[in-house]
Amino acid sequence: MTNIELVNLKKTYPGGETPVLNHLSLTIHSGEMMALLGPSGSGKSTILKLITGIETPDEGDILFDGESILPIAPNKRGAILMFQKAYLFPFLSVEDNIGFGMKVRGDNAKTIRAEVRKMLDLIGLPGFEKRKPSQLSGGEQQRVALARALVLQPRSMLLDEPLSSLDTEVRVNLQEAIRRIQRELGITTILVTHDLNEAMGMADRVALLLDGQVAAVDQPMHLYARPPTKPTSRFVGITTFLEGELKQGHLATEQGTLTVNTNRHQADSAVFAIRPEHIRVQKEPGQNSMAGLIAECIFRGDYIEYQVAVDKQTSIRARVPMPAPLIEHGQQVYICFPPEYLFEVEPN
Amino acid sequence: MKKASFIAFRVVLYAILIAPLFLFGLYAFSERWFFPAPLPTQWTASIFTRIITNSRTTAGLSASLSLALIVTVLSLIIGYPAARVLGTKVFRGRSLAWLIFFIPTVVPPLAIGMGLNILFLRLGWSGTMFGVVLAHLVPTLPYTIFTLSGVFSRFDENYELQALVLGSSRLRIFLTITLRLILPGLVVASLFAFLISWSQYLLTLLIGGGKILTIPMLLFSAVSGGNPTSIAAYSLIFVAPPVIMIAASARFLTQHGNTIREQY
Repeated sequence: MTNIELVNLKKTYPGGETPVLNHLSLTIHSGEMMALLGPSGSGKSTILKLITGIETPDEGDILFDGESILPIAPNKRGAILMFQKAYLFPFLSVEDNIGFGMKVRGDNAKTIRAEVRKMLDLIGLPGFEKRKPSQLSGGEQQRVALARALVLQPRSMLLDEPLSSLDTEVRVNLQEAIRRIQRELGITTILVTHDLNEAMGMADRVALLLDGQVAAVDQPMHLYARPPTKPTSRFVGITTFLEGELKQGHLATEQGTLTVNTNRHQADSAVFAIRPEHIRVQKEPGQNSMAGLIAECIFRGDYIEYQVAVDKQTSIRARVPMPAPLIEHGQQVYICFPPEYLFEVEPN
Repeated sequence: MKKASFIAFRVVLYAILIAPLFLFGLYAFSERWFFPAPLPTQWTASIFTRIITNSRTTAGLSASLSLALIVTVLSLIIGYPAARVLGTKVFRGRSLAWLIFFIPTVVPPLAIGMGLNILFLRLGWSGTMFGVVLAHLVPTLPYTIFTLSGVFSRFDENYELQALVLGSSRLRIFLTITLRLILPGLVVASLFAFLISWSQYLLTLLIGGGKILTIPMLLFSAVSGGNPTSIAAYSLIFVAPPVIMIAASARFLTQHGNTIREQY
């Protein structure tokens, strides 16, 4: 159980002009699984490399339980990184791969064999001791790589998109397995991913990284429903932003005035967001509604996506769960924003 | 039909490769062999045993073997860092580095030999084993560097990083992970180095100045002597180690073909 603190980290790669990490701070509680979510180039993987010691930060500090680990050599930090590929040593059997770290540590052969067997049971591959990595499927290889890291009882596990190269079915299966084992052993874990669903489904908390900084940290449900800023909202799938002047609980936008729930009474400019699945599309005008023309109507399986043109510049995207009617292009509809789902966000 | 012609092609190839060895075998063990007899009329092993137990031959064999082994080890040690950087990194002046490493393969060996000879005479390295080893490194290094850089261009450094975060020290990673991953390439590179050094005549002669007597030099003097039996015997001694090494490593390389493929 290790508490990890990233303090004011800054990192610029040689030859790079802008820093990958720009004074980033983040605390990961002990036993927690934290997902780092962000577009490529947002510095997610760099954070893991800094924690393992493969790279060193230009500024800032990394603390494990309050103590800096920067002076510790990468092979003594107890922070184990798992890559996108399993990187099992091809010339060693499954048993020797899992026991690799213990052998390095100097444990005796009997202990190693017993621990390896325990790990194989835990990852659901009992009896695989003598197999070669080339005889395993991609998912099995990742399981063995996981066991190879866990058997050392590391202070922290760092997962760098370890599942992104696998098929959907295997991936979902392994997501559950990793989550279960991580909870069972209580190892502080950081998961880097660009997959929103993976981050939401696996992590206790999600940190959204944008431009080398933490744009938001929160529990998945909260971050999904109430992202704090406009850029973070975009990242969790919100496309509708209503801007205007705030007067006594009403937002005066160019397209019309809407009732909103807010503590603020007066503001010259305010931005409100709403999730696409919370927007209603109806034939008749109602509370908080705007008239618009259907620009696009796409069937997506479990929902229908409507794009409604409110005026020349503004098009609003709504998701209505099935069953919902297909509406022809050019038809007039009313889109309704329930006030309880409209929330204010920071403009940037 | 296709298969038949393929077999015929193989037979011809083998014949071309094996025929000289076969002839050497006949000559080395014949006592009387006059035209038009298709095979020697009298056989003997005594000439061959006399040549191979001759102190000049055993000294030549040990000089050749130790020289080739030292050169092989040194060219791997020197070639490894160069090959690793050339194979894994992209940097300014990379092609210039390639060119410098490859110049020895295009410059005539005589030019290199003469130049080195003048230099080594001044430094006092002429006629010494040390000087000959250095001279042999000139033609061997391009081949070890080329072979190993090919291996490194497909090498994934994340294997080393994975071992590092699992607790290995840098030295342990190098010995147990890196060397093991590039082992097939190392075998090929050392074969090249050994063979080039083993068959080196000119540089040994120029730099060794007749003081370092290797098997190729004994073979040359036998050839100028003109006795077919001793030429054949020396030829057999000359080809034996390379043939044995290639035969052994060919088996090794085919056995490990799978691991090369699964890595990359």
